[in-house]
Amino acid sequence: MLEMLNYPFMQRAFVAGLMIAILASLSGSFIVLRRYSLLSETLAHVSLVGVAIGLLFGMSPLWMAVLASLVASWLIEYLRSVHGMYSDSVLAIFLSGSLALAIVIVSLAGSFNASLFSYLFGSILSVSTQDLWVMGIAGSLAMALLIAFFKELYFIAFDEDVARAGGIRVTLLNFMLVSVIAIIIALSIRVVGTLLIGALMVIPPVAAIRFGMGFYPTTLLSMAIALISVVVGLSASYLFSLPSGAAIVLCLLVVFILALVINRR
Amino acid sequence: MKFSPSLFEVNNLNFERQGNLVLKNSTFKILPGEYCAIIGPNGGGKTTLVRLLLGLEKPTSGEIKLFGTPQKRFRDWNRIGYVPQRSALVDSSFPATVREVVGMGRYARRGIFGLESADDKTAISEAMELMGVSDLSDRLIGNLSGGQRQRVMIARALASNPDVLIVDEPNTGVDVESQHRFYELLRTLNRTKKLSILFVTHDVGVIAEDITHLLFVNQSVLVSQNPAEMLRCDEMSRLYGTSAHLVSHNH
Repeated sequence: MLEMLNYPFMQRAFVAGLMIAILASLSGSFIVLRRYSLLSETLAHVSLVGVAIGLLFGMSPLWMAVLASLVASWLIEYLRSVHGMYSDSVLAIFLSGSLALAIVIVSLAGSFNASLFSYLFGSILSVSTQDLWVMGIAGSLAMALLIAFFKELYFIAFDEDVARAGGIRVTLLNFMLVSVIAIIIALSIRVVGTLLIGALMVIPPVAAIRFGMGFYPTTLLSMAIALISVVVGLSASYLFSLPSGAAIVLCLLVVFILALVINRR
Repeated sequence: MKFSPSLFEVNNLNFERQGNLVLKNSTFKILPGEYCAIIGPNGGGKTTLVRLLLGLEKPTSGEIKLFGTPQKRFRDWNRIGYVPQRSALVDSSFPATVREVVGMGRYARRGIFGLESADDKTAISEAMELMGVSDLSDRLIGNLSGGQRQRVMIARALASNPDVLIVDEPNTGVDVESQHRFYELLRTLNRTKKLSILFVTHDVGVIAEDITHLLFVNQSVLVSQNPAEMLRCDEMSRLYGTSAHLVSHNH
């Protein structure tokens, strides 16, 4: 089984997958605790628009996905925090609207349905060395921001008003968090796919929370769950020729069910 | 003699929400060491006033100074401890231990990447000790009773070593015995630790003997430096616009 690591495409898939597992589970903890889980799903759909535009105009789909996802994340946060719109309503509008736009672009082009499929469900074959560089640079930036403001983001998740009253720049950090999540989601679509990245962000923290620990151990457990699921999922993808995203999400679901069974309350 | 500015100085404060006037032309000062109750009918603007003082709402017009500094330029927010309304009602599944919650009170002091210093650890331990929650340190906040959660939230506010504590109707979901312990604690903090207190409450009877000032908020702010006089029933009835009775509790 370890022979798979001799193949460069599998090495790239593992490096990308492990990076994404850490980033997605770390940032996912904050959106889960803020009851904002649908944000990951919405931005994943928006990044599909970026991919479609990239494929249509011969630009880098990954960079276009990052751009589309970033712009949408700022608009969503602006409508939520400045205009006071309900977050679930804003997310629903962006989710369906971006999917509609992506479908229209795909229909107009009509020629890249096969490559779009890999962006929808993830493919271990599709991670190039260039993708790894993009992931490495943007992922490091996202990681640095998450670590730098980890405690502030935790405080905001616990009590936004008290954090603001304590002098923490809540609005700025909220925009930063959605930007980081937008980047992580756009980077993840090669491995996990746009339709499944939401699971990698949401399931690990939700499963970890079931163990009833403090925030720091919960976050570490969440990262461990994501890492194990990515390793097992990618291996299963290689061994049984499955779409990598689906295999990873099924592993996450197994862990989640185990967490439910172990921690019946 | 050292000059000691007002903790809060409010001049001609007006606040409108969606075209409706919530607070009009309010002017008052809170000085160091005061124990000030903020009372008034529901919807009168008590919580809005507190949110304005904390910078959580922006005034339509008027001026707020904190520790002598205009609010827009004020940066020492850790000098103000805040225990919000319904603070005892915490999501039961939130992954936060008592120690982590109290530690939040020090976050604003730590800066980017800032690790917990020895000062932070001492302040957190002292706040937990003072509030009697040290033995709950590793318990999840969601697993505590209402009274215990309330004490944790106050410990969090005290961990920043504030000069003033703002407490907004904190007794929702808290049993009567815990409420009495809470009032005793506020009195001790004010008298022995010289901590200034702003306390929003419906139940002014229980702290009638402790308070030095009274702010009556009903669209505008009426200040009394003689709370006993204002708490006389006929005066309260006139202010509330209904028949009011002051009930003094023994605690």
